[in-house]
Amino acid sequence: MTMPADQADRPAGWLVLTASERGAAHVAVRTPNQDSVAVEPADAGGVVTAVADGHGHSRHLRSARGSRFAVSIGCQVGQEFVGKLPARGAAGPTPGRPDDEWGTGAEVDLDAASHIAKLAGDFLVPTIVARWREAVLADVAADPFTDAEQDRRRRGDDPTIAYGSTLLLCTALDQWLVLAQIGDGDVVGVRSDGTATLPVPVDPQLDGLVTTSLCGQDAVDDFRIAVVDTTRTPLLAALLATDGYGNAQVVEEWPSSFSKDLAVLLRERDMQWLASQLPVWTARCASADGSADDTTVALLISPAGQSARPLMPPSSSGAAGSVQQDSGSDEITIPAVIRTDTVPSGYVPAELGVSNSGAIEPTADEVEAERSGAAQIEAGQMEQQQVEAERLGPQAFSCEDSPAEREPLPPSPWSGER
Amino acid sequence: MPGGGVARRPLHFIVMADCSGSMKGEKMQALNYALRSMLPHLVDWERDQLQAQLLIRILAFASAPNWYVPDPVPVAELSARWRNLEYVPMGRTNMGPAFRAVAEILAPDRLERRALRPAILLITDGLPTDPPGGFEAGLTDLLSTAAGRSALRLAVAIGRDASSEPLDRFRSQDVPVLVADGTDEIADRLVTASIAVSRMSEIGVNREALAEQLLQAGRRRGSDPAASDRGAIRFDDTIL
Repeated sequence: MTMPADQADRPAGWLVLTASERGAAHVAVRTPNQDSVAVEPADAGGVVTAVADGHGHSRHLRSARGSRFAVSIGCQVGQEFVGKLPARGAAGPTPGRPDDEWGTGAEVDLDAASHIAKLAGDFLVPTIVARWREAVLADVAADPFTDAEQDRRRRGDDPTIAYGSTLLLCTALDQWLVLAQIGDGDVVGVRSDGTATLPVPVDPQLDGLVTTSLCGQDAVDDFRIAVVDTTRTPLLAALLATDGYGNAQVVEEWPSSFSKDLAVLLRERDMQWLASQLPVWTARCASADGSADDTTVALLISPAGQSARPLMPPSSSGAAGSVQQDSGSDEITIPAVIRTDTVPSGYVPAELGVSNSGAIEPTADEVEAERSGAAQIEAGQMEQQQVEAERLGPQAFSCEDSPAEREPLPPSPWSGER
Repeated sequence: MPGGGVARRPLHFIVMADCSGSMKGEKMQALNYALRSMLPHLVDWERDQLQAQLLIRILAFASAPNWYVPDPVPVAELSARWRNLEYVPMGRTNMGPAFRAVAEILAPDRLERRALRPAILLITDGLPTDPPGGFEAGLTDLLSTAAGRSALRLAVAIGRDASSEPLDRFRSQDVPVLVADGTDEIADRLVTASIAVSRMSEIGVNREALAEQLLQAGRRRGSDPAASDRGAIRFDDTIL
């Protein structure tokens, strides 16, 4: 990752770091990573970030494609949505004016938030759902289901169900963070004081076994929307994560401990270090020591988060980009190619295969895995493969878990005494 | 790593063992042997799959329920330190309070947020002897919890007479009651049940076909239809 010097000193916008790892259980049965992530710049220094999780059930046999469509279209529509948001200093429509005129002056920010939420409900969400369905149906027309795929579909299923996916979307522009989510996964805001906020409303329909989805009949209504005014709720960062991340966390109320820890890290570490560690944390969650599920995260760091300084003098420092080993850390990282999308305002990295559509193109390994999975479907059986510690992408690292980080086995109350 | 570390997702397996007076003698010996035999299969399965940490609790019930293993114990630890259950002299077979005891530990504030759907195995040699309405009330309490409703509920009947309509109401609808015609078949049925715990954890598996396989496996000593598909918990999340 290359960070312009002026950006390092004076961040002008949100910085986005991403990481995605195929789950150990998916590696074992040779199914591809069904998660996707994409980041795109938007007008006036904004940024759009999308994370999606394709469903794992066999009836969702093309969900990896579905999640790629979801993040690509999410970013595309998100960019259009950002273009409709009020310019800096405009607080919202003036009473008495037509809705499409944004006024200036002493408008109550609450009105602006309400109008932004309304715009998200009236434009952002329905447009995403409609375009996703169009993309899926076009894909089915161009690449019809094979006989083997038809056998895996449930009778009566709409074609889009085969592509089912969740979507977590965030647009960041000036003071406004707009979040839209359908399905499981987590959105965690890290406040300046290190406490956590969960801005997206909880969906009581989600019980960990079934999820709402872009392919659902009520997809538009199933979206949950949140608008965060960061002048009222200053944030250091925001995390978007598929459920593989949260399901791996030992601590029951992990957003709180995550936020507290991340706030410290933002003060004590530089962005290079954070960019190198995010894939490590993701891989740990996706491993057989964690949830073993595909795990994808996008970490948005606000200008305040990028500028955070230690409360105490740092214990060590190093040149940007060099290998650093904190004497107090149990982790040894050897960053090679950093698999992140980082978007200082106006900058889109070209080296990570970000396509015009905004989606991260699948690696050759993922394409092979999907092809292999398809071939196995054709053969009518999935072979059980020996588990491999397979990594996608070029990053090399070694990381030892601190014993303190492993979940302790519960002490046995059953000592043979009745 | 911020947040406090990672771990496998807990899979809670609750065994409800009939320890009524009728289990005296050979039946209780066979049940203990069967439970002891089942555990190594679960240890092997846990080791070979990639997602779950299997935690076991055992509820002994007769006239009243009694938690024999009250807190979740890793299956390997239980297997290594097994102590036999004992029957309750003159004990009745009251299932309602037993269901209620299980419902309490499956309450939302008692289960981990990230726990996998639990499994409940009921082993009995007779019909419930609850007072009128007692069985139904207890079962209703169990099924009123989300975890109880979504749980894989298995029943093993010791003796044909024990395979009854109440067990049909308890079990998950896509899993047959496993019947042990004699004490020598109890171990086989429990091994079959352990296979079901591992295989049926997949949402979306062809349950009818698998149920038939399990029934056939239960009738053939030493068979293990799941041997070729270890590590079978998958991420079969689907839509509402």
